[in-house]
Amino acid sequence: MAEVEKQVERLLNSKDFVVIGKGIARVDSLEAVTGRLAFTGDLLPSNVLYVRPVRSTVPHALIKDIDFSAAKNIPGIVGIYTWRDIPGINDAGSLIPDRPFLAVDKVRHYGEAMAIIAGERPEAVDEAIGLVRVEYERLPAVFDPVEAMKPDAPKVHDKGNICRHMKIRKGDVEKGFQEADVIIENTYQTEFIDSVPPEPEIGLASPDQDGGITCIGSMQNPFDVRWKVADILGLPQEKVRVIQAATGGGFGPKSDETPIDVCAYAALVAYKTGRSAVSIMTRDEAMVTQAKRHKFIIKNKTGARSDGRLVAWESTLIEDTGAYISKGHLVIVRAIFHCAGPYDIPNVKADGYCVLTNNTFAGSTRGFGAPQAFFAAERQMDELARKLGMDPFELRLKNLLRRGSKTITSAEIEDDGLAMCAEWVYNNSEWVRKRREYEEFNRKTRGPIRKGIGVAMIYHGNTLGPEGEDFAYVDVSVDKDGKVSVRTGLTDFGTGAATGLLMIVAEELGVTLDKVRMERPDTSKVQNPGPTVASRVTAIGGRAAQEAASKIREKLRGVAAEMLGCPSERVVFREGRVYDSENPENKVSFEEVVSQAYRIGLELKETGYYIAPPTKWDEETGQGKPYNQYTYGAEVAEVEVDVETGLVKVVRITCAFDVGRIVNPIGLKDVVHGGTIMGMGQAIMERFIHEDGIVLTDNFSTYWIPTAVDSPEIIYHLIESPGPAGAYGAKAMGEIPVVPPPAAISNAVAHALGVPVKQIPLTPDRVLELVKRAGET
Amino acid sequence: MKIRLQVNGVKHEVELEGHERLIDVLREKLGVKSVKEGCGTGECGMCAVLVNGTPMLSCLMLAVQARGKKITTVEGLEEDGKLHPLQKAFIETGAVQCGFCIPGAIIVAKGLIDRKRRPSRDEIRRALRSVLCRCGSYLMFEEAVQMVVEGRVE
Repeated sequence: MAEVEKQVERLLNSKDFVVIGKGIARVDSLEAVTGRLAFTGDLLPSNVLYVRPVRSTVPHALIKDIDFSAAKNIPGIVGIYTWRDIPGINDAGSLIPDRPFLAVDKVRHYGEAMAIIAGERPEAVDEAIGLVRVEYERLPAVFDPVEAMKPDAPKVHDKGNICRHMKIRKGDVEKGFQEADVIIENTYQTEFIDSVPPEPEIGLASPDQDGGITCIGSMQNPFDVRWKVADILGLPQEKVRVIQAATGGGFGPKSDETPIDVCAYAALVAYKTGRSAVSIMTRDEAMVTQAKRHKFIIKNKTGARSDGRLVAWESTLIEDTGAYISKGHLVIVRAIFHCAGPYDIPNVKADGYCVLTNNTFAGSTRGFGAPQAFFAAERQMDELARKLGMDPFELRLKNLLRRGSKTITSAEIEDDGLAMCAEWVYNNSEWVRKRREYEEFNRKTRGPIRKGIGVAMIYHGNTLGPEGEDFAYVDVSVDKDGKVSVRTGLTDFGTGAATGLLMIVAEELGVTLDKVRMERPDTSKVQNPGPTVASRVTAIGGRAAQEAASKIREKLRGVAAEMLGCPSERVVFREGRVYDSENPENKVSFEEVVSQAYRIGLELKETGYYIAPPTKWDEETGQGKPYNQYTYGAEVAEVEVDVETGLVKVVRITCAFDVGRIVNPIGLKDVVHGGTIMGMGQAIMERFIHEDGIVLTDNFSTYWIPTAVDSPEIIYHLIESPGPAGAYGAKAMGEIPVVPPPAAISNAVAHALGVPVKQIPLTPDRVLELVKRAGET
Repeated sequence: MKIRLQVNGVKHEVELEGHERLIDVLREKLGVKSVKEGCGTGECGMCAVLVNGTPMLSCLMLAVQARGKKITTVEGLEEDGKLHPLQKAFIETGAVQCGFCIPGAIIVAKGLIDRKRRPSRDEIRRALRSVLCRCGSYLMFEEAVQMVVEGRVE
């Protein structure tokens, strides 16, 4: 075949990508390794004021009096502000206006901000805070969500404590249970988790000459911060400008309410004093206040035929959202839509309750309710397998959602990504051999180690679905020299999203990646692109980037056709060259085409917009299509449990994810590793403890997260079963690898010990209890 | 008081008070911004610097304790405008995610390979244990150090 024909064929083949699919390290890696990556704390002006709030030391109380007389005499204190000093609206709730920015007459959780103190030096501010005397009148409080649901429970807010009741009604669950040969019922529980982004919350605010305020901070959603800061200050939106600096980890909390808090503390002081001010959370302050992963109590009742076919599933999910709703009313929706695992079940009934308590508030966290739901569902599947005397993997394969299957919302599954993931993991984990070998080992061993292997399967609805309008804006412009700039309010906080967008722009324009750069997200430069949540930047933002870049490419096509003297449909843009597809030697450079376009007065600046198809479901039955597509995953965990110390060592994770389209293999490696390790933390070590509402785990010595020595071996495989909504078929992936480990690892521990696991994390004390129970049975 | 210290090869005379932490003096008085505060209580390792070649937590160290000593941070690793092999390897393996812990991790790794030419995998892991990476790049850190130890970085 002639070279040209081959070329044309390659071009016609949609898989013929030049940039997409190449492994690209984070575009800001060089800055990171040389220490030049500028986080907010690296940008402080020299005369900045330091700001910190006075926080409640009790979980539920009326504030009778606050005495600042000693505090204000500390040298260097510049101002003390309470709710009375707020020019605008005293609210910092991100979606629901239920959380006072500064408490008025009541606090509802430990660590709630009541006043802010600004000073010349951080030490002066801390000293002043220590001298503030608060007189409280303690109120009855409730810390257990089950208690909080009772009609006579203390009320956290004026209305009842149940802030959302979400339902699934599919088929006839009673009839389903009648048809079942086996029915099992178990209650599972998870704990609050803190995703502890490495960089604690920070917000820097400076007054502008025109009476506005500019905030620079560590955040996922600059437009949310702008909206709330403007409202708190009583300023029009356009008077507040918010810039996202490099952000040291997000994981959900940085899309939630604490980034609003720190920017607004600093902004209020900047507004009042006319000086730059910064609010930097200490680690303990961040851990007390930042949005936690919700604690869940999940009761699952499951009915199956003796051959393993699932016929009925009933779930009750109780979600402790703490003292303010934050995203709790949405997390319960994602949890319930995933509560019966990725299985084809004809009859399902589920009730989910989002419940207020006087614990610190929970909100957006990587996985958004899915890890808890899958822990309970996938543990239940293993218990069912045990009852049926079946291999747990076989049981799953029998019930898997496949092309044409119906989810619990009766949405039809349109691809076989899950089956492909399951098959790969089944073969590559050597499931059958190891399952047998470990059981044999445990029977024979005289030492303290027990070995176990467990499996979990997941599907994860993309992207926002029930959580909001799934749209994005990305702007692309090309300057005279052919350099390409990308601007968007979508952010990167370690996710690799910026690298993904730049790759997409480079692909569409046919330029090399070094020609493309991302500008810092700045609310004064772009329009609101929707939130950076739900793993949606590459998939949904990528569509907008594709649109913006391809509009520019099409503008340049005519210019190039004239320069090359060929029909415009034959013009190819590739790796910085622009040529005639029938005669690749007839070529010009991308820069030459751009410079000609400028000469004839073309404007090379375009906005790309994309909105995913709307998703719909019935509020009463949960039936409908809540998501446009699903990411799938299958995972096998291997563990060693020390029955003397109770320590669990996760030895190996073998997993496969259907990502739709591999945009950046290095980015995907990063999120698979990161999510897996974070998920392992949830499974075996991380336990955020409130004792009567008081936080006991407010640093890394009491709240343990995985370290380098805890990392398991991670073997992963990526499957490409393209989805209809994402760029080039890409599916959401940033959060997803955090979902399966709690389920897979707890199944492996249950296998190792031969007893059911109903609660995570599997900390040594709990493991020793399981060992004791195993000895008793 | 005035103390002398050498940071990334440059000698400084710094006016400071006895209670000032090394991290604050480095960041605020000497402009060494790579040193990050992740906890302030010596648990996260993000503020690690080399003090006379040994990784130390600059949030737990008073600046006066560094009097007369040589401090190294990632800003001082480049030679003749060329990245240190560890810096290159951290990029190549995709170890950089949010980037906040990266300076600390590279410094800890440097402290290890300067002390021991061919550390085992286990020794690499144990050294890196002192830096928390919530993005979960630990295996990439390990791979990056291994690449340098085995001379697989140009």
